[in-house]
This record gives sequence, structure tokens and C-alpha cells, in this order.
Amino acid sequence: MDPDRPLLIPLDALRGADDQIAGGKASKLAQLTRAGFTVPKGFCLTTWAYEAFVSDAEIMTAIRMELGRKSLDDMRWEEIWDAALRIRSVFLSQPLSKQLRAAVAEGLKLFDPSTPLAIRSSAVGEDSAGHSFAGIHESIIGVRGQRAVDDAVRLVWASLWSDAALLYRQELGLDPARSRMAVVVQAMVDADCSGVAFARDPRDTRKDHAIIESVPGPCRLLVDGLVDPDRWVMNRETRSVVSWLPGQREDSDNKPLLEPQDLQAILQTVLSIEQLFSWSPDMEWTGRSDSLTVLQARPIATTVPDDDEKRSWYLTLRPGDARLKELRQRIAGQLIPELAAAGEAFAAEQLEGLDNLQLADSIEKRSQSLAKWKKIYWDEFIPFAHGVRRLATYYNDAVQPDDPYEFVGLLRDQPLLAAQRNSVISELAEQLRSNSAVRTAVEQLLAKHANSIQWSTFRDQLREREGASEEFVRRFDDLQDRFLDVTFDNERLRDRPGPLLRNLIELSQHASLAESHRVSPSNSSFALQEKLLSAVGPERRAEAMDVVETGRVSWRLRDDDNLLVARLDSQCLRALKVAAKRLRELGRLTGGGHLKDSHLALLVRGLREPSTGLITVEDRLEFEEPKPSVTPQGQAPRQLIGQPASPGLTTGVVRCICGRDDLGKFRRGEILVCDAIQPTMTHLVPLASGIIERRGGMLIHGAIIARELGIPCVNGVREATEILRNGDLVTVDGHLGLVTVGASDFELEMQF
Amino acid sequence: MNADEPLFDSNSNTDSGGASNPAVRSLIESLVNEQSYAVLCVQGGGQPYGALVAFAFSGDLGHAVFATPVTTRKYRLLRECDRVSLVIDNRPTKAGELMEVEAVTATGRSQLISRGREFDQMSELLISRHPYLKSFVLADTCALFRVEIVRFLHVTRFQEVRQWIPTAHS
Repeated sequence: MDPDRPLLIPLDALRGADDQIAGGKASKLAQLTRAGFTVPKGFCLTTWAYEAFVSDAEIMTAIRMELGRKSLDDMRWEEIWDAALRIRSVFLSQPLSKQLRAAVAEGLKLFDPSTPLAIRSSAVGEDSAGHSFAGIHESIIGVRGQRAVDDAVRLVWASLWSDAALLYRQELGLDPARSRMAVVVQAMVDADCSGVAFARDPRDTRKDHAIIESVPGPCRLLVDGLVDPDRWVMNRETRSVVSWLPGQREDSDNKPLLEPQDLQAILQTVLSIEQLFSWSPDMEWTGRSDSLTVLQARPIATTVPDDDEKRSWYLTLRPGDARLKELRQRIAGQLIPELAAAGEAFAAEQLEGLDNLQLADSIEKRSQSLAKWKKIYWDEFIPFAHGVRRLATYYNDAVQPDDPYEFVGLLRDQPLLAAQRNSVISELAEQLRSNSAVRTAVEQLLAKHANSIQWSTFRDQLREREGASEEFVRRFDDLQDRFLDVTFDNERLRDRPGPLLRNLIELSQHASLAESHRVSPSNSSFALQEKLLSAVGPERRAEAMDVVETGRVSWRLRDDDNLLVARLDSQCLRALKVAAKRLRELGRLTGGGHLKDSHLALLVRGLREPSTGLITVEDRLEFEEPKPSVTPQGQAPRQLIGQPASPGLTTGVVRCICGRDDLGKFRRGEILVCDAIQPTMTHLVPLASGIIERRGGMLIHGAIIARELGIPCVNGVREATEILRNGDLVTVDGHLGLVTVGASDFELEMQF
Repeated sequence: MNADEPLFDSNSNTDSGGASNPAVRSLIESLVNEQSYAVLCVQGGGQPYGALVAFAFSGDLGHAVFATPVTTRKYRLLRECDRVSLVIDNRPTKAGELMEVEAVTATGRSQLISRGREFDQMSELLISRHPYLKSFVLADTCALFRVEIVRFLHVTRFQEVRQWIPTAHS
């Protein structure tokens, strides 16, 4: 070990406030130790240790390969998450060098072997006065033994490259490649209460107030938001209590958790730290007045840079296991059934029989219900999507597989609504295949009518045809009711069955191109589950099963919720259409534009107030500007980079699906190009010979369906729907994530 | 001696006695060990074509190995014609350092390696030099080529060219 670049320094031996070597957290803890505050004993693995690890293992090259494929600005957060997962997997697959293991072993001599340890991030620049990385990097608690410490250290290092860390650094304009991470290893201190103290009120630092929050048990219960704390506002000058707000806890007896002497000790400590550092800290602590231990101190984060609200919001989307379980129970047990029931109730309502006032009420009720569910969608359904990502990291940490996406096999065969719908579609296609009379009748009617034909008209005309099957009509009716009462591109799919009927004809004429992957016994959902359970051992079996179950439910419901909310949207549109028809018949509505949410208030008023003047529903005149070409003249794409989302190699012609009319144009063997495969269009997938999506991610539904069906898929292809045109010849390489456009000839050169 | 091989000047003074000069071999070895990427030169339908590839050489410099996706132009051309060159150099980005530039042109014949024992050996050679390319090299749609080197031409000082023929040595 180079004595000038030590890999390990005990906290009490760390001299100076060298952030560059020990990172923000460790250098502050060292300063606190030297100033006489009680801090749990421990050591710091320096940034040199991090550098030694990443350079030994050529990890930086792997990271550069991963992040160099696409500008971070062009990546959706799902893609950043994917990149982070692969980087994490690289960190986990590289063992610590002999030297590093020896350094950790040396450090562990500080503790009794049975002491549970906390392994915390201490990145350079973390928790400085300029910005806070609170919650961004990983901390792992309850770690015992060298092997577990080695694993935890690598995970903490890897968290420098987590999705949240990458996004946050991007927001702050920091270069992740220049970031370095030290690690603090400390003994865990158990106390009956813990909390956070702010030397000033973070909501208004000008006030002469300090804040103390406390929960029973360890501090992480508060930091992870698992327990509601008691909260005191303290006067900094007089040291008196300004207010006390008890936490909402089941076991709460409504008595303050802290005694006056505890409050005074905590306030005194946080103010002394403020004096030591010359900035106002937020301090995590544990214990009481006679045994107060400082866990960490960092500058209060009063503002979070927020250039892009969605990304900042994403940083909050990492609910802990307890929160995920709570979400699972609430979403699966209550919300999804309620959402489904709401859609069914609206569908069952006979709108034609209502008078105008009742119809106006129904429209408003539907609209309010839709707004309520859209809010729940953002507040609860989207955070629950983290269940699949949690399963990914849990599985990879325990099993350490070569393929970081091996866990996807655990999601196989979930009864998704879209899968149920596709199975009905396949049965209908099979019926058309085996009954040529019905198929001919459907084909003839489709040839006669444009896409705009209504199903009721189509059905009546179909019944008049020779050979028409009542069975087909009944089953298509059923399909409409169960699965097509959804909106797509601002239109109710069930109002326009033409595209789907065309898809059925296409499906009936050819065998599916999907070669269902034969799942090898070693890769079955059951086998992977067993592999995970054996890796975690009997003690953590229940925990592992919980994570698996949450992942599966998250995966299933995150598809179903889209369809169920789209059903509510469809039911809103249905009521608006009834209202529009009624007012039109009364001569009080004119114009032939598409009905949209923005017409709702007008129509409701028209129904309620007969004296309202003529209502006009016109689409705003929008002159179709020719789309500017993405590629300047003379320049053409030859090979596009994306993510290898489903393996395989195929060549075919492009069909872009950008709107509802495109759905019916899709022909077997074409390459499906779209922004993202939505739950409403997954039935096209078996017809496609390959898939290209703009939206990237290994865990988005299009990718997983393609993998299940064995169809090559490349996603995350920037501007795919703009660059690629219908009829372009492309080769989709789902192994390497490449899309090659056109043939590799020299025709042009030969003309010279 | 052909007069068309040198990097900068077709009238340079070449040294065909390179095979007996161990210094040339050693210079070539140093350069190919220092550099990671080569310009692969291929041809097809009367059209020459160049592309950058990551390479590795065998210890005896008798053959080189590189990989390319099967969807590329160079793959198609390599399947049509196996005669190739590899240009490896340490050119600077600044002008005016011409005299310090060192370059090697290696000529030879390429061969697609099918999966099997030789593939495992050749891919290992390439991956050990470029570990970050492991998943690329081993992907089903990536092809591995071995180039049997016929001749090396080593260029220094702008126009000084010497050749080395590996087979003359064995």
C-alpha cells in the first residue's frame, strides 16, 4: 500500500477536512470526533480505495461503454436505470483486490465481530453547502462479517452510478466521471429513540427557530419515512419549546417522546455543530441527553435544483420495501378493483335514458372520477412500478447472475389484462382462419367501408351476409365490451373496429411470426425463484418471497392500470358523445370536430341551460406543416444505436404506428416502429418480424413481450419514428441493439 | 518491392531486408501492443472501403483478430473478398509532428471463424485485450475474423519504410 495514498483511515485518525480523500460525510464525522462530539467509532475507505478498485477492474471503461452509447440528455429515466443496473452488475461481479480486502480486514479489527455495522456513502462533494445528496447514494445497515462488508462496500461504490445519482448530477451539471466515493464503516448504535435536528427551520432559515424530530427506535425509520415523528419547533435564543406536534403512530400514547433535558441536549449539540462548521446543519442523532450520539451532520438543503420537474420527481420514486408492500396491498386489494368497478359501473349506465340534467351530472361525475384516478395513477401506481426494479436489484445482489436481466423470468406468465385480450384476439383470428365464409364476409365489408364504420352498422351488415357466423359476432361483441372500451389517440377503440378487424384478417391469414421462446427448465419462473431462495438462505426466505410477489404484482398492475384508466377516459368520451348527439339533434350544436375534454364544460352547460346559444365543436384549424426532416438533405441514417431489448436478427420493411389509423395498416412481417408499444396495441406484436421503439428500457412492456415471443427488438432508438419512414428496408439486430437502414451497396460510388 | 505501400509517399525507400532485422519486428510489436484500434481496409465490387476496428495480435504477430456485426458493410465485403490490410498508427492530433509518426500496414487474408474451439481461443485473445467488448464479441450477431498476416510494412520518419514478413521467420 502506498503510504501517501492510504486505502483506509480510522475516523479518529483522519486529519484535516479533506473532502477529496474521505468524502463529505467522513470528513465531517472526523471533525466532529476531534471536536469531542460522540460519534460511533469507525473507519473510512478513502477515495483512493475507490480509484484502486475501478482502475484494477477496468470498471471505468465498462462505464464509459455503457454511458457513451447515448447522451445522458437523450436517455429516458428507464434507460438510465437500465444503464445503472448494468454498471451495478459490473461492480458486483468484480472481486476486491487482495490489497483492498486486507485493508477492510484491518479496519474491521476496530469492532467486535458480532457488532452490526453501517456502511455509508461518503462521496466527494456530497452534502456540501451547495447541494445535498441526501438519499441519493446507498447506505447499508446491519452488516456483519468481512464478506458482507466487501459486498456492501461495492454496492455503496456502485451507487455513485445509480440512476438517481446520475440524474441528480446531471441536474447539478456535475460530471459523474469525475466523481469519487469514499465509504464510512461504523458501528451501529442502538437507542430507544433517534431523530433529525435542524439548526434552523428549513422552510424559512431566517426565523430564529430550530427543529427537532424524533421517532422511537433507529433513525432510519424517520429518514425512510416509515414512522411519523414527534416534531418540536425550538427557539434558538431562549432555547424554549415554541410548539410540539405529536407523530401519528399507532403505539403513540400522546406523550412527548423526548424529555425537556433531551431536547436541550439535542439543541445544544446541533447549535455547537453550527458553530464548529459555520453553517447550519441538519444532524441525525440517536440516544438521549446522557448518551447522545451524532450519526451525521450536513448543511441543511433548503432548495433543490429543479430544472426538470419530472426528473426531480423521479428521485423521490424509490419507496422502501415497507412502503412497496403497503402500496401492493392497497393497489391490488383496493385500488385496482375500485378502478375496474368504476369503469364497469360507467359502462353499465344507460346514458340514452337520462334526461339532460342527469346526463350533465353523469358527465361531471365521470370527469371527476377520471381526474381522481389520474392523480392516484401518478401518486401511487407509478411509484409502485419500482416494485419490479426493487426485484431486479434484490435478485442480482443475492444471485449475482451473469445476465442482469435474468430476474425477468420471474415475471413470466402473469395474467395481464393485455395478455387476456390478446388471447381472445388469437381465438377470433383462428375462427376466421377456419371459417372462410366469415372471413370473406368481413373482408368484403372492410373493402367497402373506410375505417370509420361503426361496429353496430358493421355487425348488422355482417349478419346479412351469407355464411356470417353469429358466434363470431358474439365473441367480437364480447371483446369490444371487455377489452376495447379504451381510448387510443383520443378515440374510443370500440367505436372504430375497422383497424382491429383488419388485424384479425391479417392474423388469420398467416401463422404468427413469434416463435415462443421455449423456456428451459433452468430458466423457468419456478427455477429462478428457487435459485433466489437458495441464494438468500432460509432466514430471508419470507423477505425474498415478499420482494418477488411485490415485483410480480407491480409488473402486472402497471400494465393493467393503463388499460383501466383508459377505460374511464373512454367512458367520459362516451358520455360527451351522447350529449353532443343530443344537442346536435336539437340544433344547438354545430361543427364536426373531435370531442375533447376541453368541450366538457360547454356541453354540460348546454345540457343544463336550454337558453345557451349555439355550441360549436370545431377542431382548431391547424395547417399541416410538412414535418421538418430530421436528417438534412444528402444525409441519411445507416446504422442507429439503441438497446438490445430482445435478441434476434431480422430484416423487413418499416411500418410506423403513430396514430389509430396506422393500426389497421400493419401487415405480417413488417417491422413495427413506434414511440412505445402501448397496452392497446400489443396484439400487433405477433405479426411483426421486428420491433423498433423510441422509448428505451429493458423492462418496458414492449421489450418484455418481444422477448417472450422471440421477436427481435431494439428500443431507445432516438427519433426512430421521425428518422424511419414506412417502406424503409431495415435490419433489426436485437443482440447488439443496432438498426441498419438500407442495403450495404456501392451503387452510388459505381455511378462515378 | 512494390512502391505503393508506404503511408505517405509512394517513392519512399523501403527496406526489404526487414525479416532479418529483429529491430523492425520489435518496433512493430511495440506499436501494435500500444495501439488498440486499426483501420481495416477491404474491397468489393471494385470499391475499396476502410473502417475502424478493435484488434488483437497473436504473440508471434502471425495473425490478428477483430470482430464486426454481421449487418455491416465490411462484413459483406469480407465475405466477398478475403484480401485485407490493417493500418495501425500513433498519429498525433497536431500537425507538425510528422516525423514522430509511426505506422504499420499489415496485409493478409481474412477468415471468418465459426463457433467452436478456435472461436473460443480467438475471442479470448480479442477480449483479453478489450475486456469491455466481451458482450459485443460474444453476441450471436457478431462475426469474428482472423487475419493471417502476410507482410508488415513499418513506416517512420515520414518516409522510412521497412518490411517484415512473419512467415519468413518461422
